[in-house]
Amino acid sequence: MAVLSTNSVPGEPKQYSSTQVGTWLALIALIMTGLQYAGMLPALLHRLPENWIPPFAIWLDAAFNFIRTDLGLQKLTRWFAEGPLQFMLDTTANLLYGKKRWPRFEQIPWSAIAASAAVLGYYLGGWRLAALAGGTFVWTALIGQWKDAMETMSVLVVAAPMAFIIGIGLGIAAWKYVWVDRAIKPILSILQTLPFFTYLLPAVIFFKVGPTAGAVATIIYAIPPMILMTTLGLKKVSPEVVEAGKMSGSTRWQMLRHVYIPAARTEILVGVNQVIMLCLAMVVLTAFIGMPGLGAKLLAMMGSFKLGRSFEIGVTIVLLAVTLDRLSKAWVVKLPEHHEKGTPWWKRHIYLLVGLAAFVFFTVLGQFVEWFAEIGRRQSFSQGKEIDTAIKSFLAFDIVKGTTEQIRYVLNVWVLNPFRDFLLSIPTFGFILFVVAGALALGGKRSGIYAAIFFGLVALTGWWDRSVITLYSVISAVTLAMIIGLPVGVFASRSEAWSRRVLLICDTAQTFPSFIYLIPAIMLFGITATSVVMSILIFAMVPLVRYTIEGLRNVPPEMTEAADMSGATKMQKLWSVQLPLALPTMAVGFNQAIMFAFFMVIIAAFIGTQDLGQELQKTLAGTDLGKNFVLGICVSLMALTFDMAIMTWAEGKKRMLGL
Amino acid sequence: MKKLGTALATGVLALAPLSAIAADSSDPIVIPIHNWSSQIVMSNVVGQIFEEMGNSVEYVTTDSQAVYESVRLGDVTLELEVWEGAFGASFRAALEKGGIVDVGDHNAVTREDWWYPMWTKDACPGLPSWEALNDCAELFATAETGSKGRYLDGPVDWLKHGKERVEALGMDFEVINAGSAAALWAEIGAAEADKRPIVVFNWTPNFAEAVWPGEFVEFPVWVDGCDKDPAVGPNPTALYDCGNPADGYLKKAAWDGMEAKWPDAYGVLEKISFTNPQIAEMARLVDVDELEPDEAAAEWLEANEDVWKAWLN
Amino acid sequence: MTKEAPVISCKNVWKIFGDNPEAYLKKMPAGHTFDDIRADGYIAGVKDVSIEVARGEMLVIMGLSGSGKSTLVRCFSRLHDITGGTIEVEGQDVMALSEKELIDLRRNKMGMVFQSFGLLPHRTVLDNVAFPLEMRGQDRHTRRERALEVIKLVGLEGREDYFPRELSGGQQQRVGIARSLAIEPDIWFLDEPFSALDPLIRREMQDEFLRLQEMLGKTIVFITHDFDEALRLADRIAIMKDGAVEQCDTPDQIVMNPATEYVRKFTEDIDKARVVHASILAEADAKGEGEPVAAAATIHDLAGALIADARDYIPVQDGDAIIGALSRQKALKVLVGAN
Repeated sequence: MAVLSTNSVPGEPKQYSSTQVGTWLALIALIMTGLQYAGMLPALLHRLPENWIPPFAIWLDAAFNFIRTDLGLQKLTRWFAEGPLQFMLDTTANLLYGKKRWPRFEQIPWSAIAASAAVLGYYLGGWRLAALAGGTFVWTALIGQWKDAMETMSVLVVAAPMAFIIGIGLGIAAWKYVWVDRAIKPILSILQTLPFFTYLLPAVIFFKVGPTAGAVATIIYAIPPMILMTTLGLKKVSPEVVEAGKMSGSTRWQMLRHVYIPAARTEILVGVNQVIMLCLAMVVLTAFIGMPGLGAKLLAMMGSFKLGRSFEIGVTIVLLAVTLDRLSKAWVVKLPEHHEKGTPWWKRHIYLLVGLAAFVFFTVLGQFVEWFAEIGRRQSFSQGKEIDTAIKSFLAFDIVKGTTEQIRYVLNVWVLNPFRDFLLSIPTFGFILFVVAGALALGGKRSGIYAAIFFGLVALTGWWDRSVITLYSVISAVTLAMIIGLPVGVFASRSEAWSRRVLLICDTAQTFPSFIYLIPAIMLFGITATSVVMSILIFAMVPLVRYTIEGLRNVPPEMTEAADMSGATKMQKLWSVQLPLALPTMAVGFNQAIMFAFFMVIIAAFIGTQDLGQELQKTLAGTDLGKNFVLGICVSLMALTFDMAIMTWAEGKKRMLGL
Repeated sequence: MKKLGTALATGVLALAPLSAIAADSSDPIVIPIHNWSSQIVMSNVVGQIFEEMGNSVEYVTTDSQAVYESVRLGDVTLELEVWEGAFGASFRAALEKGGIVDVGDHNAVTREDWWYPMWTKDACPGLPSWEALNDCAELFATAETGSKGRYLDGPVDWLKHGKERVEALGMDFEVINAGSAAALWAEIGAAEADKRPIVVFNWTPNFAEAVWPGEFVEFPVWVDGCDKDPAVGPNPTALYDCGNPADGYLKKAAWDGMEAKWPDAYGVLEKISFTNPQIAEMARLVDVDELEPDEAAAEWLEANEDVWKAWLN
Repeated sequence: MTKEAPVISCKNVWKIFGDNPEAYLKKMPAGHTFDDIRADGYIAGVKDVSIEVARGEMLVIMGLSGSGKSTLVRCFSRLHDITGGTIEVEGQDVMALSEKELIDLRRNKMGMVFQSFGLLPHRTVLDNVAFPLEMRGQDRHTRRERALEVIKLVGLEGREDYFPRELSGGQQQRVGIARSLAIEPDIWFLDEPFSALDPLIRREMQDEFLRLQEMLGKTIVFITHDFDEALRLADRIAIMKDGAVEQCDTPDQIVMNPATEYVRKFTEDIDKARVVHASILAEADAKGEGEPVAAAATIHDLAGALIADARDYIPVQDGDAIIGALSRQKALKVLVGAN
């Protein structure tokens, strides 16, 4: 209660401030909960009666069926999947790993790709990037995962450009036409909070199981940031550049082509970077709907308890992600350079030529020396079994066992299970009131109203208990993440070197395919709520740490200097200067932590939960589009409620601090 | 001129049906791959046999329950491992809807039931009898289950009815559902470290036998109707009061358009039949020798030419 | 002086920012001040401005930031659509132009230079300068020829392949100037072109600009907030405040006869001797004797002579004619800066 009412919203000169209304609502909720405990609350206020719940899933199914068959959408999408999309995927697959389709080339030798990647790396970012890019591909080949990696890449090179084109197109439309912007915004918010399982099923139904559906799900998943970055970039183009373009007599098309888009290059390229990263993350996850490649391999390895090999695949994915990330970021900051007059043609294109030469050299070499073309399982340097042994013996240490057992006992028996039971014991209506009160206090009236609508809808779907359990996992994990992550962030922010190190760990932890954390979690904490919370914890901690560091390090130096000159101790400086100023940024991190937790809690269904994720996972095996969608929306609505309240608060606070 | 034309025409006419019979479609045969090793290798083995015959083959990874819907629609062409216990229901449902055909059984039996690794037996020597297991229930207790034993069942959607059986037989166990097969293995792996007694859901044939030797718990023997008629089984008022069948079938299934489109391949598929040892061997190549599935398949084919060459004729 | 039609002529031009400004302007009572309008939730960017620019003239629009000078010049080229009044450029009503006609007008008649240069960051100097030609659809070769020519004109030869970020501010503005001249415009708009530059560079660029103007003789609308700069360059100066033109006149007149208190304040700290010409002080009915002074000379130019001279009235000669005589007393007052 106290927490709810401490944050007042500035500038609300009404009779009752949001905080006051919030306090009242929270009080009512408290009374309701009390009544429920006393057994005096009417049952229908505790949980909505079954027969009040509208059959959303059935309606949605009917709607889907109508769109799918009556309107013939499925024919169209299937045509697209089997025609153009399949063709593109086949072509890239053929080039990268020699799947026997058009144009029926031999697969490109791994050494040729590695060499070209190294040259590209050198061109974009010097030796370090060359080593990273080349090294990643060499590792992939040597560890014996070349084919899987190329299966993944073959989809990526189709999905990323398509997501880019669609994203930039929609971004331009949203920037140009207000109504498109208005229509797109809520859809984007929902898309960004929808659990990825919800993308998968419709993709399978409309686009055929396998790479086509995977590619489509990947594309949809990666589009939103491209749209946002495009719009942002176009809006930021300096008005004088625009006027210069107009005064040069550009037509609308010329303006867009020659002025706006080139001038928004940086933002658009940042969008491209995000598209690539999201595509890679999703391509791995689409293993659940039959996407071959690293993700499928990882699932198979986990399915046969091969920890070492799973870990190696995880490393490959991280390396690929880091390489793509660094290359595309280097591309963002790479500015065109002029050549001195009279530079010969070959010198102007030296990198292109060297890259081509390396490519041709290794392609030819691959024809004669098999090793340079393909490394089979037998010749690879995989250390799967050794890592298995290492992991298992680590887990067998008494100290590890003892500690985890202790944590498991305390958390499960004393914290998590009672907390869950408590949340479940709150009457639905009271629970909604609590949430609304919180949203009011944080984000003001608008957030409060949306919270009421969103959580009301969740209650109406009939998945209330599971939603509460989902929420409980999220809250527990984020709370734990704060307890651990905030001190880590505060500590790391003290020195440049530590900040860098910790951020690197964050990056790595985040790019590791999410479900790889599940196995160690289970082995340490069993199939219990603790495992679920622990596997979410890692993901939730990353943004908290990152934004804490960022927030603290970006406090204007004159303020910390002023504090130093006032004779503040380190602690005083931290508490009275740095933390208050960093708070809005940290709130953004907190928000992301919640979003990530919602994402991960769904994956944690693989450990064994009773939440929405478990039901979602079940729907994947069937054709229950309606139910799948309802469950996904439940997650999305809860996430959006938090997102809206916290972000409104952070923005208000930022404005107040003049940041 | 006219004669020649007629001759040509007859020739073409005569050849046409022949070629139609002889040649399979050049479209790829789509073979689904799931997330356990034996099925993956078996799919590769069969795929390579088809390729040997001149067909083109494509593998897609699919969910093992959803696959029957895909087979029905022709998105994938066949399914090589239809387990009675795990997929019987989905398979039968698809059969009823139509579009899928039963292509016969493998010469193998499947079983899925409560299972324990051998070290458990040291702590509870009365095993494998279920009554003995129940007497040792406390050995299987965890922090969360209190004094009751914990039985780790498969994911809820596998519909293994562990809870119902515990109630029907009045056992002192609490049933916890794992979220995935991987979660089951992780638990066994964790228990292995300090040889903690554990009882989990498991099935055969699979790779686990090679990694962790173990046994199935012997419940009251399966009688037909145990899942439908309360009167059947030891508890006259409850369903699921017996163990699962100890000799479930392992079937092959195919899209009903396969016979017309790839008649040769379909003919071979009908003859294909693997035995338990053969299936175990396939799984071993991947799980123990750590080969890639396609390499494992090639190796298996090389070692067992007499087996599969016979199916080609 | 033959009365030629003005190049730009605007009558009662209004530019109001806000929701549906046309409707607001229609129902707005006459005599509403800038603050009245703001109280209604609108901003008067340009307020009832009537002004003409003659061919070959350099009109400097001068005012503090927010006075509406940039808005006014953007109305001339229809970068802004005006809310009320009419603007004619070369006799065409710009608000009546179709998009295509407007583009044609900009492609062939107008050039503009911006305060922070407005260069396209991804294009080289050459490509920036050639940009308007490219928009016009000229072929690569002609484009290049012409661009090189203008680059040479602004003294940037050898830097054709540089990117804007590799140039200093002064150089970047030279590129901006070159670009605006590439199409050989008749009308040249310069929006505070030198105010982002260091004082030394600014001076140099002003000289450069005067040199160019001497060569090219364009009709120029030049915006600045720097009164010295305005005095140095202008044929006429229009001083703006709150969207309205306070006074539009020659520098001498503005200095000697400020129309409003606001204008007078501007002129206060000015070294008037450098601005005021003998002609403006010449009183037609006064008679002087002896050697006349040139009408075009500033008082500063005449300083030495004025101090040494003993005459009360000195004749002023414009060409061959004596246009009157100036009072030495008054001239000395201007010289010492007394009011």
